[in-house]
Amino acid sequence: MLGVLPAQLPWWVTGPGVGLCVLALYGLANLRLGVSGAWLAATIAPVERWRGERWRVMFLVGLLAGAALAALLGPAVSVHGYGQLSVVLSPPLLVPVLLVAGVALGYGSRWAGGCTSGHGLAGCPAGSPDSWAATITFFAVAVVVTLGLHALTGGAL
Amino acid sequence: MNPGAVNRRTALLTGIVAAAVGVAFGFLLTASGLGDYYTIHNGLLLRDPYMYLMIGSAMATASLGLLVLRRTGGTWLGGRLTLPRHRIQRRHLYGGAVFGIGFGLGATCPGMTVAMVATGGLYGLLVLAGLLLGLWLRGRVEQQTAPAAAEPTRAQLAANAARDA
Repeated sequence: MLGVLPAQLPWWVTGPGVGLCVLALYGLANLRLGVSGAWLAATIAPVERWRGERWRVMFLVGLLAGAALAALLGPAVSVHGYGQLSVVLSPPLLVPVLLVAGVALGYGSRWAGGCTSGHGLAGCPAGSPDSWAATITFFAVAVVVTLGLHALTGGAL
Repeated sequence: MNPGAVNRRTALLTGIVAAAVGVAFGFLLTASGLGDYYTIHNGLLLRDPYMYLMIGSAMATASLGLLVLRRTGGTWLGGRLTLPRHRIQRRHLYGGAVFGIGFGLGATCPGMTVAMVATGGLYGLLVLAGLLLGLWLRGRVEQQTAPAAAEPTRAQLAANAARDA
């Protein structure tokens, strides 16, 4: 909002920075960074009546605060639509499609035991075979789905 | 300090570390523009290399750092470093594929959606609502497919009663 930061810092700043976040959690506290696990511990654990690990809740609180801080320092924030999806779909269709996309993310990450961060950023560098399998599947399927929708909609999506 | 105080101190410091890393992670995720639909969508259309360069350099940085951490072996608060190492199971592929459908359709993931909402993409709240529903649904399914292992048998209950008495 303050315009101190550009909309996109170069990848060679954000990439290694994110790598250092993974390292900091491993090296300082012997913990594996993961966002879907943080959502699970903070929101679903109380519903299912088990104790989510406290550090995961703290990580999620930090994540929300950090995102808000970057938005505050970045370019002007305006409420906007959902990219090309809100161009192609009217709101009555967009709402269920976004809910379905979210359900797939949540269902799939719990099934696979992690998401793009827990498996991709933290598990792969540790050399865990399950993380490599999951991460390659995430990206391969996402690329196929995206290219498929692009072709099916005649380039509209 | 007595052991209880040491444990409390460790728990407190662990929480502070987790929160601080969360702040840095959320900041970088948002400042990288990964909350923008087109950055991810064009990445998945293989037209914008940003996402791959960022994730690739993050993985490379973490891998190099882990070479050092493995050698030193210890951590500040968590004892000896234990890194994940698990064999591949079907669930990684099935779950990964379901996740990939959401990733492709929504051009976002559980962390990127936070960046999206923070920068004004309020439709991302629907994705987050779906995410929580999906996490909960998978829990329900797992509970229903594996009740035998979770619930103690009559014999176990009898054994427990005998032991407790």
